[in-house]
Amino acid sequence: MIETITDVFSNFWVSLAGKLLLVATMVPLIGMLLGFAEMKLSAKMQSRVGPYFAGGRWGWAQLIADGVKFFQKEDLVPEDADSPVFKAAPILVLVGTVSLFLVIPFGPGLIFQDLSVGIFYALAISSVGTIGVLMAGWSSANKYSLMGGLRAAGQLIAYERPLVLAVVGSVIMAGTMSMSGIVEAQISVGFPFVVVQFVGFGIFMTAALAELARIPFDMPIAESELVMGYLTEYSGFRFLFFFLAEFANMFTLSAIAATLFLGGYWLPFVPESSLEFTGPLILVGKVFLLTFTMIWFRWTFPRFREDQLQTLAWKVLIPLALMNIAITATLKVVL
Amino acid sequence: MVTDNDLTKHLSEAQVSVEIQTEDMTLNIGPQHPSTHGVLRLVARVNGERCFDVRPVIGYMHRGYEKLSEVRTYLQITALINRIDWVSGYANEIPFIVAAEKLMDVEVPERAQYIRLILTEMARISSHLIFMASYPLELGAATPLFFALRDRERVLDLLEGVTGGRFHPNFNRIGGVKPNAGAGPTTKKTPQDLPAGFLADTRDAMSVVLDTCEEIEDLVAGNEIFRARTKGLGVLPPEVAAAFGVSGPNLRASGVNFDLRKVEDYLPYDKFDFDVVVGENGDCWDRWWVRLQEIRESTKIIQQAIDGIPPSGPLQAKVPKLIKVPQGETYVRAENPKGEMGYYLVSDGGTGPYRLKIRSASFSNISILSWILEGVLVPDIIAIMGSLDFVLGDVDR
Amino acid sequence: MTSSPSDPELAVHPLQEFADAAAEAVGGEAEIQFDTIKLRVPADQWVNALTKARDNLDLVFFSWLSAIDWANDVEVGDTLNEETEERIELLCTVCDLTEGRRITFSTDLPNVKPSVASIVEVYVGANWHEREAAEMFGIEFEGHPDPGPLYLPESFLGNPLKKSYPLLSREVKPWPGTVDVEDMPEKPSTENPEA
Repeated sequence: MIETITDVFSNFWVSLAGKLLLVATMVPLIGMLLGFAEMKLSAKMQSRVGPYFAGGRWGWAQLIADGVKFFQKEDLVPEDADSPVFKAAPILVLVGTVSLFLVIPFGPGLIFQDLSVGIFYALAISSVGTIGVLMAGWSSANKYSLMGGLRAAGQLIAYERPLVLAVVGSVIMAGTMSMSGIVEAQISVGFPFVVVQFVGFGIFMTAALAELARIPFDMPIAESELVMGYLTEYSGFRFLFFFLAEFANMFTLSAIAATLFLGGYWLPFVPESSLEFTGPLILVGKVFLLTFTMIWFRWTFPRFREDQLQTLAWKVLIPLALMNIAITATLKVVL
Repeated sequence: MVTDNDLTKHLSEAQVSVEIQTEDMTLNIGPQHPSTHGVLRLVARVNGERCFDVRPVIGYMHRGYEKLSEVRTYLQITALINRIDWVSGYANEIPFIVAAEKLMDVEVPERAQYIRLILTEMARISSHLIFMASYPLELGAATPLFFALRDRERVLDLLEGVTGGRFHPNFNRIGGVKPNAGAGPTTKKTPQDLPAGFLADTRDAMSVVLDTCEEIEDLVAGNEIFRARTKGLGVLPPEVAAAFGVSGPNLRASGVNFDLRKVEDYLPYDKFDFDVVVGENGDCWDRWWVRLQEIRESTKIIQQAIDGIPPSGPLQAKVPKLIKVPQGETYVRAENPKGEMGYYLVSDGGTGPYRLKIRSASFSNISILSWILEGVLVPDIIAIMGSLDFVLGDVDR
Repeated sequence: MTSSPSDPELAVHPLQEFADAAAEAVGGEAEIQFDTIKLRVPADQWVNALTKARDNLDLVFFSWLSAIDWANDVEVGDTLNEETEERIELLCTVCDLTEGRRITFSTDLPNVKPSVASIVEVYVGANWHEREAAEMFGIEFEGHPDPGPLYLPESFLGNPLKKSYPLLSREVKPWPGTVDVEDMPEKPSTENPEA
């Protein structure tokens, strides 16, 4: 029986379909879970209760209700909007997010596709979403959307660089760009890379926040300035796509950070043989720790100004990241 | 890695040498916009993020109170002027009532004066707490909003306990305060004083407000981003502020030591010991800081007033049943939370004023917008505008 | 015009000295009513007087500018007790920022086509106040840098704060609250209300 299942799944198309199905359920699930966590955590931080009634207890069904609500809403496309681009933008954003799940190792061998250039692929694909954002901003035929889209583009250019440079330290230490290879390297040295790559980790998390356009870097949305930025004209399920993409992106970027710096699915003192089962839990635990920090930041900080953000990226983060690379490379050669 | 560095250098040089042709864009901020506090509209010409030539358009909420006052009796007008600056409705009533009392030559009982003073200061606290809530929100920080509103609600509850209204108390009468304070049918002519335990509750609330000030200061003032966003931004020199008629905390933030509570006698402020908070640079940070300190000073005044309030006594001077104000003109101004609020009252001996000029603080305070917003960035429009702390009802009247 | 006596208990009002000094410096007629100094100047001296107030009297703070329409025919509200000379009285209050002294400047303008020089050059804050007075009373401010309606729509006809301008809602439906509401629960009082 088990053999038949393995056989069936060894077929390329069947396994592809299975993986797609898994990702397709994971993205909304994670989006809802993190969305709910954000609602409840922010409520806790602000002496509120948060969602309370939906679902009968703790308001657990709030996000499901919200999702249903979004699908019931009218799919509005502004008259002056560039309709095909306007409609394609949220899909592109979501595709960018979903594609990131491909290279995240959830356990030894538990990876959708172990690319030899895994981290390179992840960083490249994570920028696709910004093209979607720019499309959304441009096609909405709204001045606020346009400014939001342009801000997002500026932000991407500024923060893609520290993001990539921060990763290089870990890659040098591991000697591979494969995501699972990096985890294995951490297992073999016996400590997560954050111990020596703490600068890289800090830069990566900062840049990831900017990449996600979350406070303190949420200028593309900036509801007090740009109404809702590039999202201004979106409603219904297209808005839901952006919403899901944001939270799923939070998950994937945290997962990449966890993999590169915190040992991924591996935890010291957990027997390696059990990682097949405990690995995903460990990874998700680490991811939730990181997303909690992101949510915490979101509800604590004001937002930067556009030029302050650029200054931070070009004058602080990039030099720091370069220095980190130089030091890491030197140590790697010397030791 | 050296190549990467070189590439960055080349790219930045390339960008500088290319002259980019850009088009100006006219951006309509408002009348419906999250940060215009209602229905203010700004027509800004922007070039990228830099904006110049900002023109405020007001009047979307003009209700013609000056005309309406001419057809109403003095008693009815207090209900109107509550709604001018609705976040400190109680404070709006004071200068008008004092102006009418001045013309009628009525001596207000001391206890009523103290009650007026306590409630005015509570209105100031609630108004400044609204600012403490909304200003960080405009800069993107949502959490201070809840801290500030939580304790503003405490203050408003107390106000409601006395006056029966959170926002629009309509509590002052010519010659004192409404004798039937608190709940109860107005037909029953049993004189009712402050609700039981009001003074003790107020004292508690004041210590809570002080705690919240600490909390807000920790959360907001200690934040590097907030400092970076507000310090040195929107600097308002004192002479410009005076010429524009910018008053209140905005004027004091520019370093002018001037508080109408110290120089006018509309309420017995001279009996209390409090400081006039003065800023240094007149930037957004100072405007925020001055208001935070003013909350603290107000709690100080209220504590002293609770100590000094006469334990009993009349709440209402003897005034005729049908109020007719003798002929005369006077201007009475008061230090409201938003700034100088004054009424030029012209009476011809009738039951209502012949003319009532309402000088509201926010109107003059935001007339400075086109001057102060010249050449700032789009995010700073919001930061500067928010720091002026205006209410559209107070602008449009 | 109102000519109520100044405070009878005090022989000399504490503000009298300042009022006289100001009148002399500016050139006008000072009058103290209920702690408010009103300084009357001729219309052609309007800008001049306010410039002197700012420069010589240190009244640097611009508080407000508005007008009163003195009219014998009144569409809404109470009429005047006695006939008056019909005119528009322009008022402007300026203050200092140290001791809290303030003077309300006043000048009389003709009822028909009132016109006066703008004081925006002297007090820049007068800009909006003059626009408001212009649309509400029909006063023309010569040399105003940015004339045009402030509150009212472009197409609005009439000057709402003039006494001849009817309050339309009141025309359509009389205000029910002309009865003193405090009296309503009881029987109409028979005693003299002034008692």
